[in-house]
Amino acid sequence: MAYILQQLLQKSAARYPKKLAVWARGRSISYRELEERSNQLARLLQQKGVRKGDRVGLYFPKCVESIVVMLGVVKAGGVYVPLDPQAPAERIGYIIGNCGIRALITRADKRRGLDQATLDSLDFTLLLDEAPQPSDSSAVIPWTVLREYPSSSAPTVTLTEMDLAYILYTSGSTGRPKGVMLTHQNALTFVEWCAEKFHITSDDRLSNHAPLHFDLSVFDVYNTLEAGASLYMVTEDLALFPSKLSAFMETQEITVWYSVPSALTLLLLHADLNADKLKRLRTILFAGEVFPMKYLRQLAERLPHPDLYNLFGPTETNVCTYYKVERDLLPGMDKLPIGVACENTEVFAVNDQDEIVTEPGGTGELYVRGPAVTCGYWGDPEKTSKMVVPNRFQQNFEEKMYRTGDLVQWGEDGNYYFLGRRDSMVKSRGYRIELGEIESALLSHPSVKEAVAIAVPDDIVGNRIKAIVASHDGIHLVPAELQQYCGTRIPKYMIPEAIEFRTELPKTSTGKVDRVQLAQESLQVVLK
Amino acid sequence: MSTTNQTPAAQPVLRDQLREFILENLAHPKGVTSFADDEPLMETGVIDSLGVFRLVSYLEDELGVRVSDEEINPETLKDLNAIEALVIRKRKK
Repeated sequence: MAYILQQLLQKSAARYPKKLAVWARGRSISYRELEERSNQLARLLQQKGVRKGDRVGLYFPKCVESIVVMLGVVKAGGVYVPLDPQAPAERIGYIIGNCGIRALITRADKRRGLDQATLDSLDFTLLLDEAPQPSDSSAVIPWTVLREYPSSSAPTVTLTEMDLAYILYTSGSTGRPKGVMLTHQNALTFVEWCAEKFHITSDDRLSNHAPLHFDLSVFDVYNTLEAGASLYMVTEDLALFPSKLSAFMETQEITVWYSVPSALTLLLLHADLNADKLKRLRTILFAGEVFPMKYLRQLAERLPHPDLYNLFGPTETNVCTYYKVERDLLPGMDKLPIGVACENTEVFAVNDQDEIVTEPGGTGELYVRGPAVTCGYWGDPEKTSKMVVPNRFQQNFEEKMYRTGDLVQWGEDGNYYFLGRRDSMVKSRGYRIELGEIESALLSHPSVKEAVAIAVPDDIVGNRIKAIVASHDGIHLVPAELQQYCGTRIPKYMIPEAIEFRTELPKTSTGKVDRVQLAQESLQVVLK
Repeated sequence: MSTTNQTPAAQPVLRDQLREFILENLAHPKGVTSFADDEPLMETGVIDSLGVFRLVSYLEDELGVRVSDEEINPETLKDLNAIEALVIRKRKK
């Protein structure tokens, strides 16, 4: 049994050295090559000063090297931080500073976008695509030097399952993204559960649809390695074109697919999803947002054979509950359950009286305990202590549990049902969006006096974002200007797609902006 | 300005029309205020998964060209030049 992630690769590389491990953009890498390249990278990183626990940023569009980097970093004892290649450079700069990334693995064009202070804060940069320019300092290293390092073994580093493996940044309500710290054990708890539940074998061909900074990708990458299966990466451009994507699923003979529901909805609506051509597709997993029943029924009809699973859980626990779709029940089902706890995890709902819900029909906030739960947010003990709390429901020993902020109902059928959020976090295309982070971006504009971000429910992507803004002294602002400004601070999926201007925002009796009224008004006006 | 246009100065009206639609409906909501004719619109995030279909509905509903699912791909919608070329090609048929 593995206790650190790289052992999954080590085992499969010994058993299936010649087998295709990863495919992306028409290139592939075998298990032996993946093992050797990541050994070389680990040695390079160690020689350049990366030590146990050091953070290494991964900042480039998906390619086979993405997986080499993830494994190389953990083999060096480091912690990888996947950075959204499409996020604004300012946000990337913030994350690099926030978690003290000292080594960055990137592409020349991405590097050029970063500001000088960020570049100066790095000990070194490894450039994937081109040789450093004469003007670059010696701290810019070309990927080709990897060849010079021994490939037969990784450097010796003492690691336990409690060491951090990666940090995933998600939207933060206070205006800045927060880094969720995940240990090897956190990841392996989930990976081992999936391996058993979904019976992944070396014959499987897994897709990787989610971006690598999104926790859905943990399943894709590590369950492939665990089983000695093959991983087919859906690159950013492919993901936008449903008919190309369905052709990809056919040609690569994907057997296990995992994505956000909206990606499946787009495939349904705009591609010829043909059961005859997807004969090997045996399991479809989806997570990240609520799958509208209408489209789930259509998917089940169009693809009558694969098992369908609704997986549920925040980045802080990865998946904590699951529901296997019972096809026979679909026609009469009005709400899709989030199901029951993964077998190696415990979940319960805690009601307003601070008691665990024990009767079917009861509602409360979902709590999670078990080895999948994060140890907290990087550099933010305050936020950590609010969300990762001592388990007050048992006094025999000290342990932590995670408050998800999700309101759930425990159904008569034994399944949990998702009711909504306790805070202003929303999902769009499966991405977590804190409305507060959008408001903070808007409010940082010098002409903006008041701003409220509102999620308008949408059938396909879950939610679309709208903002209502009042400017100082009635200064004239146009949506495009504010949207451009937001684009320098928050990722594109968080930028309000419509902005309405008012001279003043409505207030409640206590003088606060009346969000409820604004949200209700927005629901009545369909976004353009 | 780009020089990669294959139908030089042929359709300034069409190109302007396309640019205006993309700017107002796809680029602005993504915080982008301008783009070059050969700028890869998907790579820069101007066109996202829903954007693809808003653009295609525009081509079909406003410009009257019928685009099949197979014709919606990374090459045909790569940049403004490619989108313009697609419309011209479809109109000739």
